[in-house]
Amino acid sequence: MSEGMFEEEDFTPRQVDWRLWRRILGHLKPHPRAVITMTGCGAILAGVEVCLPLVTARIIDAASGLDGRERASEIPGWGMLYGVMLAIFALLVLLFIRAAGTLATGVAFDLRNGCFRRLQALPFGFFDVRSTGWLVARVTSDVTKVTGLLPWLLLDVFWGTSMLVGILIAMFSVEPGLGLAVSIIVPPLALSTWWFKRRMLLSSRRMRRANSRLTAAYNETIAGVRTTRMLAREEDAAAEFHEISGEMRSWSVRNALQSAVYLPIVMSLGSIGVGLALWAGGVRVQESTGLTLGTLIAFMQYAMLFSQPIQELAQRFVDLQNAQAAAERVQELLDEAPAIRDSEEVLAAIERQAATPVEGRAPDGGDPEIDTVRFDGVGHWYVEGERVLEDVSFELRPGTTLALVGHTGSGKTTIAGLLARWYEPTEGRILVDGVEYRERGLDWWQSRFGVVQQVPHLFTGTIRDNVRYGRLDATDDEVRQVLQRVHALDFVERLEAPDGGDLDFQVGEGGERLSIGQRQLISLARAFLADPPIFIMDEATSSVDAETEASIQDAVESILADRISVVIAHRLSTIRRADQILLLDRGRVVERGSHEELMAIDGRYRRLYLDQFVDEEERRLLS
Amino acid sequence: MSDHHDSKPTPSRSRIFRGMWSLMEGDRLRYGLALASLLAAAGMLYLVPLVPQAVIDVVLGGEPEKASGLSWQVVDLLGGRERVADALWLPLLLITAIATVAGVFTYGRQRWSAIASQNTARRIRDRLQDRIQRLDMRSYDRLDRGDLLQRCTSDVDTTQVFLSTQVVEVGRAIVMLAVAIPIMFVIDWRMATAAVWLLPLITGFSFFYFKKVRALFKDKDEAEGRLTAAVNDNLVGIRVVRAFNRQDHEIERFRPRNDDHRRLDARLYTVFSTFWSLSDLLCFMQQASVVLVGAWLLADGRILVGEFYFFFAAVGMYLWPVRMAGRIVAEFGKATVAIDRIEEILELPVETEVESEPERIPDDGSISFRGIGFAHTPDQPVLDGIDLEIADGETVAIVGPSGCGKSTLVQLLLRFYEPDTGHVEIGGVDIRTLDRHDLRTRVATVLQQPFLFSRTIRENILLADPGADHASIEIAAGEACIHDSIQRFDSGYETMVGERGLTLSGGQRQRIAIAQALLQKPSILVLDDALSAVDTGTERSILEAIRSRRGRHTTVVIAHRLSTLREADRIVVMSGGRIEASGTHAELRDRPGLYRRLWDIQSSLEADDDRPLRRGEEASS
Repeated sequence: MSEGMFEEEDFTPRQVDWRLWRRILGHLKPHPRAVITMTGCGAILAGVEVCLPLVTARIIDAASGLDGRERASEIPGWGMLYGVMLAIFALLVLLFIRAAGTLATGVAFDLRNGCFRRLQALPFGFFDVRSTGWLVARVTSDVTKVTGLLPWLLLDVFWGTSMLVGILIAMFSVEPGLGLAVSIIVPPLALSTWWFKRRMLLSSRRMRRANSRLTAAYNETIAGVRTTRMLAREEDAAAEFHEISGEMRSWSVRNALQSAVYLPIVMSLGSIGVGLALWAGGVRVQESTGLTLGTLIAFMQYAMLFSQPIQELAQRFVDLQNAQAAAERVQELLDEAPAIRDSEEVLAAIERQAATPVEGRAPDGGDPEIDTVRFDGVGHWYVEGERVLEDVSFELRPGTTLALVGHTGSGKTTIAGLLARWYEPTEGRILVDGVEYRERGLDWWQSRFGVVQQVPHLFTGTIRDNVRYGRLDATDDEVRQVLQRVHALDFVERLEAPDGGDLDFQVGEGGERLSIGQRQLISLARAFLADPPIFIMDEATSSVDAETEASIQDAVESILADRISVVIAHRLSTIRRADQILLLDRGRVVERGSHEELMAIDGRYRRLYLDQFVDEEERRLLS
Repeated sequence: MSDHHDSKPTPSRSRIFRGMWSLMEGDRLRYGLALASLLAAAGMLYLVPLVPQAVIDVVLGGEPEKASGLSWQVVDLLGGRERVADALWLPLLLITAIATVAGVFTYGRQRWSAIASQNTARRIRDRLQDRIQRLDMRSYDRLDRGDLLQRCTSDVDTTQVFLSTQVVEVGRAIVMLAVAIPIMFVIDWRMATAAVWLLPLITGFSFFYFKKVRALFKDKDEAEGRLTAAVNDNLVGIRVVRAFNRQDHEIERFRPRNDDHRRLDARLYTVFSTFWSLSDLLCFMQQASVVLVGAWLLADGRILVGEFYFFFAAVGMYLWPVRMAGRIVAEFGKATVAIDRIEEILELPVETEVESEPERIPDDGSISFRGIGFAHTPDQPVLDGIDLEIADGETVAIVGPSGCGKSTLVQLLLRFYEPDTGHVEIGGVDIRTLDRHDLRTRVATVLQQPFLFSRTIRENILLADPGADHASIEIAAGEACIHDSIQRFDSGYETMVGERGLTLSGGQRQRIAIAQALLQKPSILVLDDALSAVDTGTERSILEAIRSRRGRHTTVVIAHRLSTLREADRIVVMSGGRIEASGTHAELRDRPGLYRRLWDIQSSLEADDDRPLRRGEEASS
């Protein structure tokens, strides 16, 4: 389990947030048939269960003939009815579980699609403060938790209330006095259920918290094996662990003890109900008020029937509270509005262009060609008050390369992110041919970029899938051509695996079956295939071997020749060749110029360059 | 209950039972008490419907003379027929009393089984934790961490549920039946037969159904895995998705996986719907056979209404536990696999202790590696005949290409591994005769990727010497050049780090670990590439601080940078598991070899430019 700023699960109990649950129930709308089946089954089931004791009573009376008449001939009739009711019961079970399946899986499907769609639209700022594991859990386990509950909530609310009301109606219409006697057990039953379920809810939460501490402790034990031994603190660690496992033990035991008290109480109350029915009913039988033994037995059954619906209703209530945090997170994700999106004006322009296309215009109605991109006094912060970029200005033109140089955290990546409009500047402007880039279509602008990242990510799938990610309709020939250009075709053609080699080679999760250098080449090929007018490259220093690097250098150069390119540069070769170099320090441009100019100043750039030189050489020597 | 789970071989049954038995140690009495309470509670529970039976047949019914002896006994217990007829609240009292006693036994059963099983679970957890931290390192290296964590968490949970719930539930079903059957046959054999004849079918159906559909659960779990992987793949690569503006494509790709998962999940519901409805139908048939046979016997006058009631109530008491038992038994396989997986870890070898009384660790911090040979696998030697003497108080730097065996050498010094040939001495004493704790307390080591625990920075540093005061912590942090950075954190030394805390950079982690090592006041300090993420300026300050403590400890530094190596008294160049050269900076600089080539890089710059190179001085920000 990964933990981070958003990770800690909230274990404190809260009130049931009915407004939230109403919205969650709203997701049932597309499945009206299943909802009707669920609720209908619940009600009919309750009806059958309430009527069964009465039918049994008729059978007993007919068989015993105690009311003085010979009614044995009625047995087959009542028996038949009894059998039919049981068959209906089984059929209803079949129906409602299937409907529950339709509901649970259907709503889960919709919610997952919704969440996934939303995640594709949210800006990077959203992802920066949330770990991937946390987000994955929203789409997977949280959705399961919420949707797994919904059908049973529906069923039990209808079944449980119908049962309670049904039993009361049946008892009071048959024999009000006896009904009253038996229903005395309902208030204590409901009260104790409410009291215990609440306590069990709390202790089960503490149990889960203890459990997550336990998992974290194991994680530490496993990952820190060497450190623990180096510090020779195995015994202290074992003692600390013993505390944590003890906490888990005590809360689990407490939870079990609560249920150990609760269940006997419920059973005893049921038995007392039977005794009450026997007493009040027996008196009536003795007084020959017409109450038959069969009916008496029916009331004794009713006494035992009360506890189940009360327990189920309480359990659903507990489930609601348990799933509330998950429901909140899922609903929040669905409600999260993308902070970066097209303005009304831009949307209108896109619509106009779509309705009446003007020849030679971009989809947003603007100029499709890009001649200059200008940063004009751009500043940025991710968290208010913590400025990461300040007053950065530069101009980009096709055929020129801008190199960004500086230490980690100096703002290089932020500049790239702003350029691609993954973030928007909090100060200053970014102008595309003189037009503020927020006045152009987001989709159009972002489709102008090719981005090659430092840690290249490949998707699970084949080499072909990954290269074609740059252009989905590329043919195998085109894929091979572009691989050839980045000098990757040789190694790709040598790839072999039982599940397919060459272009069919499965790269594994994140590309794990390839070396990082190979992944970089594939991601470069992918970007080249897309053929965009603007390139952003975030270089890595050491992942491609020197030979390959030299040969792809030419390819990169020929590709960048007539494009705008911004390189977050680490390699000296790249830095030297750039037309313009910005040296950044804590979000400010501290030196700018060409390599020769900057070396001549004998400032920070020179020192940084020489450091990098020594570093690269040492690395090469010791690899 | 042996069970073929996936591709794993069937775990040995005797091993599992032996393992279980030893894990139950200390709580066996509680398990026994739980079993006894279970029996008592079951017995008492059947007494409850006996009371209405007696009252109906003896007092309320028209044929008291036909009532069974059992019924008469109950009524006599309450004071005879007349007395009960006058005071029908007496049976209520009796029922309440029986129910209360049954309740107390039920409570006892749950209490003892909960405490015993939770104690067992805790014992397993503690043993696993302790075993893991004492594992022989070769065994540890072979383990898959994710799998190990799973064994510690979900496998223990499975075992605990097995002991506290599953065994008890099956036991309850058996006991309920075992108590009910004799009573029922005593009352009327025909009714008794009608009340049990379908039970084998009901249990068997649950058992075989769940055995059969288990593959479907696996399919669904796999689909869930694929779904998770798909979301994860997309989110990890979200920058690539955006870079290529492929959001719609991703949504299209996600849909079939989502749909696949839905289909398999829905299939499980269908499977369940069939199971529950059929199994309900079987149970109802069992109930109906009681009602119909009862009605027939009743009409014939061969049983009484009260007896009819008893059978009806009794069936309702054991029917559902018996049905569940079939399903639980079908899932026992899971528990045996889990127990086996736990046993596997508990049986792995641990680091061996010194057999005889360990030697006292010498104050002298000199180190001798004598003819060391080491291999992880026989055909790939990592170290091949290493002889190296390091004097007390000396600073030795080791350099060499990656994979040359530098780190392994250090790990041998700590006795994480034992050399295949040769031995290591500290202060002239073979380290195999030393207590491991003593050894590791005297040799402080900082790894390239140090591990910090989930606690505050102060607590992490303190782990090296729990008794140290804050001033010495700050001194150590100062020497490790991390004090100022710590002061800049909002909570300073109280900042939480590790998995649940602030994410630190590699360099910050390395420096905190160095502070920790310095606080340990070791006689030997080992830095295993522990300055790799620290910039050169800071590196120099740290090395100077360590140097100024010289005389207090021997220092071994594994490094990549010339700037680090130069600080040492002696430099050892390793290659392919052997020592290639050894000497001072001046000696090695003048000899051809790796060190000379490193030196050439630097000197080429200086030749290129006569301005002095002051490397990375402001880089420490």
